[in-house]
Amino acid sequence: MTGTATRTVPRPGVRWLRRALRNPTLIAGAVIMLVVLALAVFSPTPYDPFAQDLDHGLDPPSPAHWFGTDQLGRDILSRVVAATGTDLRIAVLAAVVPFVVGLAVGLVSGYAGGWLDWIVGRVVDTFVAFPFYVLVIVVVFAAGTGERGIYVAYALVGWISYARVIRAKTRSLCRQGWVEAAYGGGLSHTRVVGRHLLPNVLPQAVVLLMTEILLIMVAVVTLGYLGLGVQPPTPDWGTMISDGQLFLTTKWWVSTLPGLAVVTTGVGLSLLGDGLADVWRLR
Amino acid sequence: MRWVGRSLLSVVPVVVGVVLCVFFLIRIVPGDPAAMILGDQATQASIDALHEQLGLDLPLGTQLWNWLVGVFARGDIGTSLITSQPVAGLVWSRAGITAGLVLLAVGFTVLLAVPLALLAATHAGSWLDQLVRVVPTIGMAMPAFWVGLLLILVFGVNLHWLPVGGVGTGPGEPLRSLVLPAFTVALGMSPPLVRSLREQLLEVLDADFVVTLRAARLPRWRVNSHVLRNAAVPTVSLLGLNIAYLIGGTLVIEKVFAINGMGALLFSSISSRDFPVVQGIALVLALVVVVVSLLTEALVALLDPRIRAA
Amino acid sequence: MTFRTAAARAVAVIFAVFALAACTASPGPSATSSATGPQKGGTIVYGRSAAVTSFDLNNEITANNAFAIDKVFEPLVSFDTEGKIIPWLAEKYTVSPDLLTYTFDLRPDLEFSDGTPVTAADARFSLERHRKVQGPLPLQAPIRSIVATDTHTLTITLKSPYTPFLSELSGFSNGIFPADFGGRTEKDFFAKPIGTGPWVVQAWDPNGDTTFTANPHYWQEGKPYAASLIYKVVSDDTQRIQQLLAGQLAGIEDVAPASLEQLQGNSAVSVAKLGSWAVEQVFFNTQNAHFADRHVRRAIAYAIDREGITKATTFGAAQTVHTLIPPTIQYSADVQALDNDPAAAQRELAASAYPDGFSATLMINSGDSARAQEAQIIQAALKPLHIDVKIEPLELNSFRERFKAFQYDFMINSGQSDAPDPDGLITFQADPDGFSHSFWTHYTNPQVTKLMRQGRTTADGPQREQIYAEIQQILADDVPYIPLYNPDNVVASGASVHGLSPRINGSVLFQDVWVQQ
Repeated sequence: MTGTATRTVPRPGVRWLRRALRNPTLIAGAVIMLVVLALAVFSPTPYDPFAQDLDHGLDPPSPAHWFGTDQLGRDILSRVVAATGTDLRIAVLAAVVPFVVGLAVGLVSGYAGGWLDWIVGRVVDTFVAFPFYVLVIVVVFAAGTGERGIYVAYALVGWISYARVIRAKTRSLCRQGWVEAAYGGGLSHTRVVGRHLLPNVLPQAVVLLMTEILLIMVAVVTLGYLGLGVQPPTPDWGTMISDGQLFLTTKWWVSTLPGLAVVTTGVGLSLLGDGLADVWRLR
Repeated sequence: MRWVGRSLLSVVPVVVGVVLCVFFLIRIVPGDPAAMILGDQATQASIDALHEQLGLDLPLGTQLWNWLVGVFARGDIGTSLITSQPVAGLVWSRAGITAGLVLLAVGFTVLLAVPLALLAATHAGSWLDQLVRVVPTIGMAMPAFWVGLLLILVFGVNLHWLPVGGVGTGPGEPLRSLVLPAFTVALGMSPPLVRSLREQLLEVLDADFVVTLRAARLPRWRVNSHVLRNAAVPTVSLLGLNIAYLIGGTLVIEKVFAINGMGALLFSSISSRDFPVVQGIALVLALVVVVVSLLTEALVALLDPRIRAA
Repeated sequence: MTFRTAAARAVAVIFAVFALAACTASPGPSATSSATGPQKGGTIVYGRSAAVTSFDLNNEITANNAFAIDKVFEPLVSFDTEGKIIPWLAEKYTVSPDLLTYTFDLRPDLEFSDGTPVTAADARFSLERHRKVQGPLPLQAPIRSIVATDTHTLTITLKSPYTPFLSELSGFSNGIFPADFGGRTEKDFFAKPIGTGPWVVQAWDPNGDTTFTANPHYWQEGKPYAASLIYKVVSDDTQRIQQLLAGQLAGIEDVAPASLEQLQGNSAVSVAKLGSWAVEQVFFNTQNAHFADRHVRRAIAYAIDREGITKATTFGAAQTVHTLIPPTIQYSADVQALDNDPAAAQRELAASAYPDGFSATLMINSGDSARAQEAQIIQAALKPLHIDVKIEPLELNSFRERFKAFQYDFMINSGQSDAPDPDGLITFQADPDGFSHSFWTHYTNPQVTKLMRQGRTTADGPQREQIYAEIQQILADDVPYIPLYNPDNVVASGASVHGLSPRINGSVLFQDVWVQQ
């Protein structure tokens, strides 16, 4: 038994780390995301992001306000930083439940096969048929705008992509014979799935998680832009872009700098996902 | 043509699932839809009246039965709370412009993604390939509405090349009005497509017959034309897989460009809390996706003999 | 290698994109010099925020309908840029010394848009129908009789003197249409209306655009200049501006103040900014438990910085006000208002039934960027009072339905006079038994109602001025609404359009607008 484990689950350790350190995409992604995460967690805002100063609206970037001020005289840098916390928190939290559920559903249906697999397949097909934004918007509509709606929406639909990918991966692993061997060798189903299948599909799921966090973040920003996401006065990149839309040509900093924050975070997540895929040799 | 029967068989549960899903979507979400529609200040009397109007006062089973009978027997997907018109008619009146936008967007997506993927795949490992691989990384990080805003600024407001919103009337105008929004959708759609297509093309390029063709010292363009023909299958199937994503993106872009299609109907219904219309749009779009997926599967099967044989 | 190329290109692409965004401030093609005089023909495409839903002049009130109705139907008298009453369909009018008999002489060659002549009988029928219908802007005057003395003379007799009578008649809701609806049913008539106005409805979608063509029988010789006028619905104010800049629209109404700088810096666009009869206000539903408490309303008035709101959201296109009667209307008073005093706000709230604050929803209409910002300012201003404000933006029609059903806590909306006399606004905003139930606040104050009646019968002069000053002071103390500012009417037009400027009520006289071919 111990022998099997050693063979199928190679110690990650040194080799993986060496490969990771040699992968520039991963390092770039990790560095960007570390900075973004630090901003989100410690939220080092120079001013109170909610404090209005109606006499100093739309001031251009200056030593006092590096990113200028918005229409209500709020410091844009502080709001961009605070929005990092809002948007990234929502994206990460909203990704957790789908990750766990999707992984479990994918593993179980892929491993069990049969009628269970068929039903999961049809449920997946059903949800896949709904255009992503339509489904999210409908749920947000029903559950109420703001964070709560977004969490409910993703808990309902987010697991699909994991279930699809993990199920396929599990199926192909099961066909390799050693799974049956493990079960035949006296291991319980739970043990086979938990100890042997899970570690093998986990990298795939983690790479997918990065993509999903990116997609959710973009969706949260889009919902904010549409007025269906984070509600004012909570700082959010989407509502900031939408607020500055009228000044796009005259006060470029109001929309452009929050937009830059979205793209930077997105590129960071994208690179991190690509890098991890490279290092785990998933492509 | 055994797969035809098999595909149809797998579609039936999905259609039923979609119809059920739309029904439960509103009902499993915490909170009373009537209270959500009428606001915090609504009187109990007006809430009760709306419950009755929407049939929410009936037992869940009866509601479900009425919904199923309505949808499957009469094609009735509800009535607007605001205009009192049938939802199906409202959706239909907006469907044309959205369909046009989606088709144009698919066209642009193919024109953008296929050459890029081909370029990357045939120059795998070169700086060209690196460049093509970087673009999706950034593309995915840019919200489509933001790209739309930039395009409006550059091509509409500054260069005056194209209309920036609404749908014009007059010869050729509707099409011209759709160019920028369709291009925006295509820009958002292309990154994942380029990425998947590049990988599939690499497989094709490694395939035996290409190696053989190269060995036969065929001119490069002839090899490429073979590859291109073989690229059609993955392109169509990838587009089919992503059609839902594409339609969803189109609706958001409609909002950015003030196009009076189904997206505009969806957002105005949301901001007027017209719940049957929102529900109806979700249902119709999901059914469209199911049908389109089926059609693309059929097309793939026609293009790719391997699937037919299987 | 991979990383450096990848990262360098990523950075380059990002900056290229933002550079594009940043350097797009250059103006479009320069304005062409205007020709010598007005040119005939052409189409004016005018971008508006909401669709025309009805042409029934007696039953409508909102700007989306009013400014379409006044293109088709015209009243006997009208008002000039200062709000002074001027003859319109009536060539002249006389008032008897006892102020009870009004005689109107119709213009001699007046014709409806179908070519039939206009008679005093048509005018009588129109006003009688309005009396019967009542509607949102009823004829409040104590009318004894309306008589067509001859084909071109209309005599209206009152039971008692009524000072705002001519002002009332000048409103769009007292337009003239053919007697017996020209032999058609009401429904049919208002689906394809016939009037004396410069424009004729050619195509009309109650959910979308309206197309008018020039009325060939219009009484103002040579007008309208343009051959057709299209009202195009673009509900989002940002989109309206973009479409104007791209040349898709010839003109737009309700120009978002935030975009003024951009438009005024663009030589291809001209902006017309003139005084208005509107006042932006916060309205309280006094049937709501929290806002029924006078102290709560007063606390909120103290908490809000009107000057700051005006400055931050209107960009010089409005004047801060403290009363519901704008300075453009007679008897606008210099009231002692509760304003921007956080300490007093705390005291007032402490004296209320809700000293620890509460939660409330502030309703606004979506698509109005200035109002969205105002809502955020109010939200922040009430935070120190522990009044937790949720902002609810609703599509315009639902917004109206909601407040008309009193299903709201408080809202931002605009009070707008349709005629130059202050009685119109006071009636609309402070008469609990009127059509609007004190602008749907349900504010009831017998003292105000009494003064309001006095104001109608008192002849113009210091005594009438005193009455309205008293009403305004009571309203400022009771705070059923908080007047914020008096916005200018702002419209913008492209280079080829001439003469597009708003009237004081916000409408545009399109017969005077011409298009450079």
